[in-house]
Amino acid sequence: NIDPESLLPKLPSPEELRPFPTTCGIIYRGHKGRVRSLSVDPSGLWLASGGDDGTVRVWQLDTGRQIWSVSLSSDEAVNVVRWRPGKDAFILAVAVGDHVYLCVPPICDPDLEGASLEVLDAGWGYSSSTSTTKLPLTWTRPSNKLSDNGVHALISLGHTAKTVSFHRRGDYFVTVCPAPSTPSSSAIAIHTLSKHLTQYPFRRRLKGGGPPQTAHFHPSKPILFVANQRSIRAYDLSRQSLLKILQPGARWISSFDIHPTSSAISGSDNLIAGSYDRRLLWHDLDLSPRPYKTLRYHQKAIRAVKFHPSGQYPLFADASDDGTVQVFHGEVVADMMSNARIVPLKVLKGHKVVGDLGVLDIDWHPVEPWIVSAGGDGTCRLWR
Amino acid sequence: MAETGGPQTQVRLQLTTRDRKLALPESLGPILVPSSLRRYALSTLVNNLLGTEKPIPLEFLINGSYLRTSVDDYLTAYGFSAETTLAVEYVRALVPPTHVASFEHDDWVSSVDVLSSSPSNARGDDNGHERILSSCFDGYLRIWNSSSQVLATSPSPSDGGHTSSVTSSKFLSPTKLVSSGLDRTVRVWKYRADGAEASGKVAPQLELYGHRGSVNSIAVHGHSNRILSASADHSVGVWSTSKSHAPEAPGNLLPSASARGSKRRKLDQSVTVPQRGPLSLLEAHTEAVSEAIFDSKEPTVGYSASWDHTVRTWDLVTSALVDTRTTSNALLSLTQLPELHLLAAGSSGKDVKLIDPRDAATTVSAMTLRGHYNAVVSLAKDPESEYGLISGSHDGTCRVWDVRSKRGGKDGMVGESIYTIERESAKGKGRIMAGEGVKVFGVCWDKALGIVSASEDKRVQINRGSGIVSQRSQTAA
Ligand SMILES: [Mg+2]
Repeated sequence: NIDPESLLPKLPSPEELRPFPTTCGIIYRGHKGRVRSLSVDPSGLWLASGGDDGTVRVWQLDTGRQIWSVSLSSDEAVNVVRWRPGKDAFILAVAVGDHVYLCVPPICDPDLEGASLEVLDAGWGYSSSTSTTKLPLTWTRPSNKLSDNGVHALISLGHTAKTVSFHRRGDYFVTVCPAPSTPSSSAIAIHTLSKHLTQYPFRRRLKGGGPPQTAHFHPSKPILFVANQRSIRAYDLSRQSLLKILQPGARWISSFDIHPTSSAISGSDNLIAGSYDRRLLWHDLDLSPRPYKTLRYHQKAIRAVKFHPSGQYPLFADASDDGTVQVFHGEVVADMMSNARIVPLKVLKGHKVVGDLGVLDIDWHPVEPWIVSAGGDGTCRLWR
Repeated sequence: MAETGGPQTQVRLQLTTRDRKLALPESLGPILVPSSLRRYALSTLVNNLLGTEKPIPLEFLINGSYLRTSVDDYLTAYGFSAETTLAVEYVRALVPPTHVASFEHDDWVSSVDVLSSSPSNARGDDNGHERILSSCFDGYLRIWNSSSQVLATSPSPSDGGHTSSVTSSKFLSPTKLVSSGLDRTVRVWKYRADGAEASGKVAPQLELYGHRGSVNSIAVHGHSNRILSASADHSVGVWSTSKSHAPEAPGNLLPSASARGSKRRKLDQSVTVPQRGPLSLLEAHTEAVSEAIFDSKEPTVGYSASWDHTVRTWDLVTSALVDTRTTSNALLSLTQLPELHLLAAGSSGKDVKLIDPRDAATTVSAMTLRGHYNAVVSLAKDPESEYGLISGSHDGTCRVWDVRSKRGGKDGMVGESIYTIERESAKGKGRIMAGEGVKVFGVCWDKALGIVSASEDKRVQINRGSGIVSQRSQTAA
């Protein structure tokens, strides 16, 4: 008689898998209403946040002090804030209402500020002078009042972007407007900073699973991953072809993330997805279109999932409307035949659930095993 | 202890002290005491031998550790026989620090320094009055007397003041101040006191440019007129406070270099302050530097602590990196315990690491001080004891440590704090999540004034509990 339990590989205890975030270190308070999105800048010193009050704010990460803020709308929420990757410029993309604003918060040194403005200014006039094909929208300069406050370019999408995601090198970012009313041809847009160019790579709606929800570039290959409610598709951008379809088995995908060392360490790609129907899914893309592991630990919808971006810490986390952030160990091993070992590490509790909304977004610190969370309770929190 | 019917076990103690006022006559020699004695009984015994008018609470050290249980337990734990003569050192027990005063500000207070009236302090003025220097997130430095009156405030940005939060400030001398800011500058100020109690003036003397990120903290060395700065740009700056010795300011980092800045400056600026650059920038850290200090005996040696988990030793004459010690956490504060040849580094991991930076030291961390619930962002040495230390944390408390109060842990020696100082503004509220509203940002320990701390609660708080003050507290007790 063999106890089936004894055949399972023994998971290490969380204690052996330190470091990982365990306690709330700082609370960032100031937003009126929900904080919908947040992002730690590439230097790891600044936290940007945006929310229902229509403001975007930048905080000193290690003191909790608000350093800069600008009001971008009196009646629409800031849905996304994302820093451009790379330390050569200090640029924040902000999606609010039907617009995407590009900001250089006036808190960096004159050299970096100058370099950032050059990145943003290089594209003025590019599209009008070089292209004769149909360009449905142009980038414009915001009002003097906004540009005096660090807001330097404006893309009017005509639809509300709910996700913004940069390519690792920082020149491209992809926006997704998921509202069913958005025409399929303009739901997914790729924007080129250096050319002030906005392109729509998809003419038709992705099959089966409703409107697109979110999209990310592969960290090293010219591949765009796009999720609709039920599947995640990988497209080769240079050949304009569909490479892969993942079926996480969730009813409504809210978010996904691609492992930072994908294709570098294991030769394969690993991806996590979270869903409104409370599932957290780990995919090894070479194994199967189905998830290698399905985790159901939350009582409410999962809103955000994220791998630690450094590749130094085998950590990932998800954020839920139940008010918690859950932290997991997930090591991608070099061996093609073995799967990532996943160990739940910690439930981070502190955010209050307000109006059925708990934690709406998370982001990792670029080099430390620290995570920040944005809450329906109007606060951002640093956990370390 | 005593076996049934048998005599109580006795042990021979050789009692010594370094405090001349408390010394027993040498002729006394070893004394025989019951091994069941604990600290309190021993304290009473020594007080009786001394014939003190009022009992002076004493602590006892055996082999460098405080006696926390009975002598008997100690003998058992270390495998000594009762035949041995134990060398026991006794010291005054620290009197719990009690709240003396709070100085209210309009905004979060980031750091505090004290110009001591004690004659042992080289920087001290001779009036017998302490001066307290606070740095505030509102961009101003303030000088206070000990009755919580503001004697002087630094000028506004348009009159040569900081253009953003002040992160740290120090007295270089009774008439000279140095400050650092989120505005990436280090500034030198002249402080002129108009008469004994009347208000004085803080006037800008030098603006120092060279850092590309926030300057998180500074250290000053009065005799050589040198400043060390720790910056978020990963570098340590070495500066002269003398206008004629300082190099030219780097033009690309001046406010006038930014399109926005020059516009604003032309409109606003009413005074012109000389601008200078660094003597050198020490580069090796790979993340933000949180604190840089001078070696207290050899000011040509500096130490720095960084978010990159390291403490580094620098030769300030050649700008060479001498040594690197790597810990397991981002380091947020640094001070020196010079007599013990140790550096103390406060970490994001809620602890303080004691590090021996000398070549011969084989372990990275000699000891870890545990007890805070949040990041340890400020440290200062006890002015009266080579073993004493104060830490300020984002958990909203300051903790007093005596490095002799320790126990063996599973990863080395662990020190426990002997007192915890809470914010008066949060008295009775218990532990506050993430120290919200009461985070301590800076702490300083002055011999006469006591423990002075700066906090998010917009107050500088003074607690006192040692030295001459201890007599008053004993009367009360
Ligand atoms: Mg500090």
